[in-house]
Parts: sequence; C-alpha cells; structure tokens
Amino acid sequence: MRARDNPFAVHRIHALRFRLTEDGWRELLARLDALDLRAAIVGPEGAGKTLLLEELGARLGTLGRAPRLLTLRRGDRRPAPEARAALLAGLGGGDVVLVDGADELGSLAWSSLRRATRAAGGLVVTSHRPGLLPTLWTCGTSVELLADLVRELVGSAEAEVLRPHLAALFDRHRGDLRAALRALYDLYGASPATAGPPPGA
Amino acid sequence: MSWLKVELDEGRTSFRPGEVVRGTASWSLDGPPAAVEVRLIWFTQGKGDRDVGLVESVPAAAPGIQGGLSFAFTLPDGPYSFSGTLVSLLWAVEAVALPASDAALTELVVSPSGREILLPRETPDAGAR
Repeated sequence: MRARDNPFAVHRIHALRFRLTEDGWRELLARLDALDLRAAIVGPEGAGKTLLLEELGARLGTLGRAPRLLTLRRGDRRPAPEARAALLAGLGGGDVVLVDGADELGSLAWSSLRRATRAAGGLVVTSHRPGLLPTLWTCGTSVELLADLVRELVGSAEAEVLRPHLAALFDRHRGDLRAALRALYDLYGASPATAGPPPGA
Repeated sequence: MSWLKVELDEGRTSFRPGEVVRGTASWSLDGPPAAVEVRLIWFTQGKGDRDVGLVESVPAAAPGIQGGLSFAFTLPDGPYSFSGTLVSLLWAVEAVALPASDAALTELVVSPSGREILLPRETPDAGAR
C-alpha cells in the first residue's frame, strides 16, 4: 500500500477532531470563564490534550481572544529564550497563553512563566498530572473511543475488520491512542483487507 | 461561501523535471484577503511527520474578493514523486488566501517517466545475505 493511501497516515490522524459536542464546548468554555481563564487540561500520553488545547485556542480566537501557543517537548526544563521572548512580547489582556506540555518545565521555570503571563487575559496549559493550575478538563481514553476514531478513518466496514485488534492494541499501548493509531498504520499497510488475525486467535 | 480553485492547463498532471507547469488559480472569498499566493510545493505523507518544500511562490497583485491569477512554474530537478509503504512524496500547486488560510490544492506528478515511482516493499529478509 502506498503511504499516501494509508488511512492511518499522520496527516489523516491530525485531521481528526476532539470528541466534544457543542454542549460540551459550551460547558468547557463556561468552566474556563469561571476559572478566570487560568486552567489546565490534564491526561495521560496520547489522550488528546494537545488536540483539545489547539481546538480551544481556535475557539477562543473566534471569541475575540488572541491565543499564543508555546509547545514544550519532552525534557524541555525551560522554554527556549527566543520562544519565551516571542510568547511574552507585548502580552496584554486580550491574549491567552497556551502552553502544551507545561509539566515538562522545572519548578523555577514554571513559576517564572506563570508570573510573566500575569498580564495575559488567560493561561491554559496541558499536563500529565493535575496541580499546576485548576483542572479544566481531564482527557481519558477507551477502546470505544479508539474504535470510533478508527471508524472515522477507515469507514464502518473496514473498522469492523480491525475491531478485534483494538482491545489488544489499546492495552499494549496503555491507552495511548496516538501510539495505537501509529501501530494501526503498520497493521493496515501490511494487509488492508484483513489486517491479519487478531492477537490470540 | 469562500472557494479557491487551481486548474492546470489542459488538465495535465504528469510532468518531467525541468518542464513548465502552467495554469490558473481563481477565487471567490467571503471577505477581502490580505494576500493571495499561488505556490509550487512538494510534501510528504505517511507514518512520520510531514515535510514540506516551497519551490516557488507567486503573489497576486492587489487581490480582491474575486479574482484570478495565471502561473507558470519551472520544475526543478527533484525530488521525484514517489511512494513507499512508509512515506509518499507528492507535488502540488496550491492557492492560499491570507490571513484566513483558505486554500486549494491540485496534485501533480514529477518524475523522469511522468509517473509516480513506486518503491518496492521491504521484506524482512531483504539484504540479509
């Protein structure tokens, strides 16, 4: 199978939207307001925190806020000086700072960033653990959610073929949906028609 | 409802390096754009993160809500269009309206034969001699 045709190619996974109804969004935005726009999205690896943060940023943009995103990678104990300077330049009440992976920061760097963003209208972060800021949303995963995403990517008929593999993939990757979808890339690419027998069959 | 469109002359989508890709971009937008650009790009799709190469870009002069722009891009020597199991490399002409980032994209194939190069599938014992 050509990589471009694999339904689990990265560009197709990135096109998936966070599973939240319009009522859910209203609830989330109301809660964010109640938290004075300072809050955390919490959840384990591959649970959709980054996706939710990005979509929240877009929603805030349509509401007249100016989102500013800082993305931290594993091991980033402090933001790169240029990234920090760009993030904080001319920061005002209309801006909402979004920090993806805030729990990567060391305690001093986190305190410093929190202080430096006081001028902003809001600060929303993602973190694997609660406690950095009041929790806005806890992201969780399930085999059913994985099955739903697979259905969206490949359609109902092929999703049924892949269905027997999903529980084992979910367990193997400890609920990390990103990793499970990556594994499905190989599985699907190997034989899209059947993807082979399910584990233990 | 905004739309943009990229049409290649004579509907041609297969090219060889060094050839010229000609066509027209047209658009109708909900509001006045800050800029409209037509770009010749290549990009990857597959298991890994996407790489993108911008080869040439042509801005529309004083673009309005509706408009059109002819383009002629000379293709470089490479990279060629190809597909393997892990990554595909694709060429395209895209039209982008800023700042909304409305876009349209038409794919093309670039290779010495004018066809996408299909890489052989790796087998576990390949090269294990």
